[in-house]
Amino acid sequence: MRFVGLEAKEPMTPRILIIAYGNPLCSDDGIAWHAADLLRERFSPDKAEIICVHQLIPELAESVSQAQGAIFLDAGQIGVPGEICQARVAQGTEVLFGTHMLTPAQLMTLSHVLYGNSPNAYEVSVTGESFAHGEQLSRKVKSALPQLIEVIDRIAQQICGTQPCSRTGIV
Amino acid sequence: MAEPRTIVIDPVTRIEGHSKITLHLDEHGKVEDARFHVTQFRGFEKFCEGRPFSEMPSLMARICGICPVSHLIASAKACDALLAVKIPPTAEKLRRIINIAQVAQSHALSLFHLSCPDLLLGMDSDPAESNLFGVIAKNPQLARDGIALRKFGQQIIERLGGKRIHPAWVVPGGVSEPLSPEDRDAILKTVPEALAIAMRSLEWLKSVTDKFREEVSVFGNFPSLFMSIVKRDGGLTFYDGEIRFVDETGEKVASQLDPARYFEYLGEKVEPWSYLKSAYYLPRGFPDGIYRVGPLARLNVCSQCGTPLADQALSEFRERQPNAVVSSFYYHQARLVEILYCVERIEQLLNDPEILSKHVRAIANPNALEGVGAAEAPRGTLFHHYKIDEHGLIKWVNLIIATGQNNLAMNRSVLQVAQHYVSGDKLTRGMLNRVEAVIRAYDPCLSCSTHALGQMALKLQLIGPDGAVVDEICRP
Repeated sequence: MRFVGLEAKEPMTPRILIIAYGNPLCSDDGIAWHAADLLRERFSPDKAEIICVHQLIPELAESVSQAQGAIFLDAGQIGVPGEICQARVAQGTEVLFGTHMLTPAQLMTLSHVLYGNSPNAYEVSVTGESFAHGEQLSRKVKSALPQLIEVIDRIAQQICGTQPCSRTGIV
Repeated sequence: MAEPRTIVIDPVTRIEGHSKITLHLDEHGKVEDARFHVTQFRGFEKFCEGRPFSEMPSLMARICGICPVSHLIASAKACDALLAVKIPPTAEKLRRIINIAQVAQSHALSLFHLSCPDLLLGMDSDPAESNLFGVIAKNPQLARDGIALRKFGQQIIERLGGKRIHPAWVVPGGVSEPLSPEDRDAILKTVPEALAIAMRSLEWLKSVTDKFREEVSVFGNFPSLFMSIVKRDGGLTFYDGEIRFVDETGEKVASQLDPARYFEYLGEKVEPWSYLKSAYYLPRGFPDGIYRVGPLARLNVCSQCGTPLADQALSEFRERQPNAVVSSFYYHQARLVEILYCVERIEQLLNDPEILSKHVRAIANPNALEGVGAAEAPRGTLFHHYKIDEHGLIKWVNLIIATGQNNLAMNRSVLQVAQHYVSGDKLTRGMLNRVEAVIRAYDPCLSCSTHALGQMALKLQLIGPDGAVVDEICRP
């Protein structure tokens, strides 16, 4: 499959885009939404745009393409509860996808093929303990929140070039 | 002589929800019957019993992740009837805006994301490329336009309702918050681009539709009634008015019907092979009372749209077929005409001098024990009917959903397509895709809660009378 006619529409906005996604009614699945509340206190709107969504959808691709860097924040299911993992996001090679839910890699691909740009992006997840109905985080996941904010702050600085080197793996 | 056989398409892909299609072949391998089975069960009408009526809009919005606003609107209108209040004029206008914003985004999803692969790449295209990425590869501008139109509607919903999915802003008696000048101006800024996209998409669709003459002739191309809510003057509306039926000649069959008295002219039949009830026009009985709802029906029923560009597009639409436009293939074009209307109408409403009024909610306790709310959802007319006890607790709920009202027509359409394209002797992906595509034309919303589009396998089985699989092909 070949993609044609792709050019960036508008100049990039020098901002970090943080996309917090998950279901805030399913306990730890809502960790990203809880973190987003704290991140809004950390980052001014001119430094970072913070979006909370239930899942990644194609309509986010244009915003991703216009950001200097993107951070995808989610709950994870594998690992020790409260464990924070980070990884760089590469463009996806998997072309089959739905309209309701994308992976960060697929969204980066859409950003590239539709709008001509895919910025540096990182995926950060916190392993959840409980995904049952409820709006409260489990104790272990809640206690990981301060460290999570620091991790995201550091990644944001890396993207902006004020801190060297990126790390992939368990934090 | 060969035995009768059955073809099963399970699941049907690129629709909202879970279903399957069975094609029943006679001993000569010809399709003699077809059934569109809805295989999921939700149960909203039962588990709402005992809940306070004021919770209904929020509960009902959970029926659907694509058109929650329609359920919010119909539910809130039913609750208005329980309160027996007339909501403030600004609240009504704001409800109209959020409702048609949702129509625009839902139509964009149906057309650009679900049906565009068929229309752009062809009905016989490789299923591996029949998705949005296939559209991007062939026509990236079209893909961008589809995403932009959907975003247009979603951002309005988010600005008004606070969030894109399941906003709780529409409440019994009105809306919970007035519109701010900043949000009004921000939405108005997005109107010109949305209008331009809708116009060029319509031109594109008109050009490709001519390549599908064979499909037009057999995709639900049969006489039936059409029903929708219209204004008193016959104009297109999505919020309030009277119920009108027209037939395949465009003649009025019934008009000035009260939506709150739907049970006097609509019947529902339960079939043992589907969870989806089949609605019919009572005076004609079952199944002769077959009628269609949604974009095609609305444009057949209304006398005019009431906005300049949409009225021009409506005139061109009506040139497609004499009298009424009866082929369900034209649901696609009707969707774009409606998107055009929605964008124009949103601009009109936002420029209304009253739109920033702070008086947006009427407060009251229940003053009636029974209420009906009706509105036009993207897929057709939606009825919510509630009964409460003296404490305001729900005793009984009846919902008549658009897709159920199209059920008879969808079944007949599948049969028409299958009889034209499917032969038991040879099975091809193209013929199967056409059977699915006619269902997609109706954009059925069977629930949007769990399906993983594009990742579902499509399996076609030929099953002999003894239950053994005679032949099988699978779509990865």
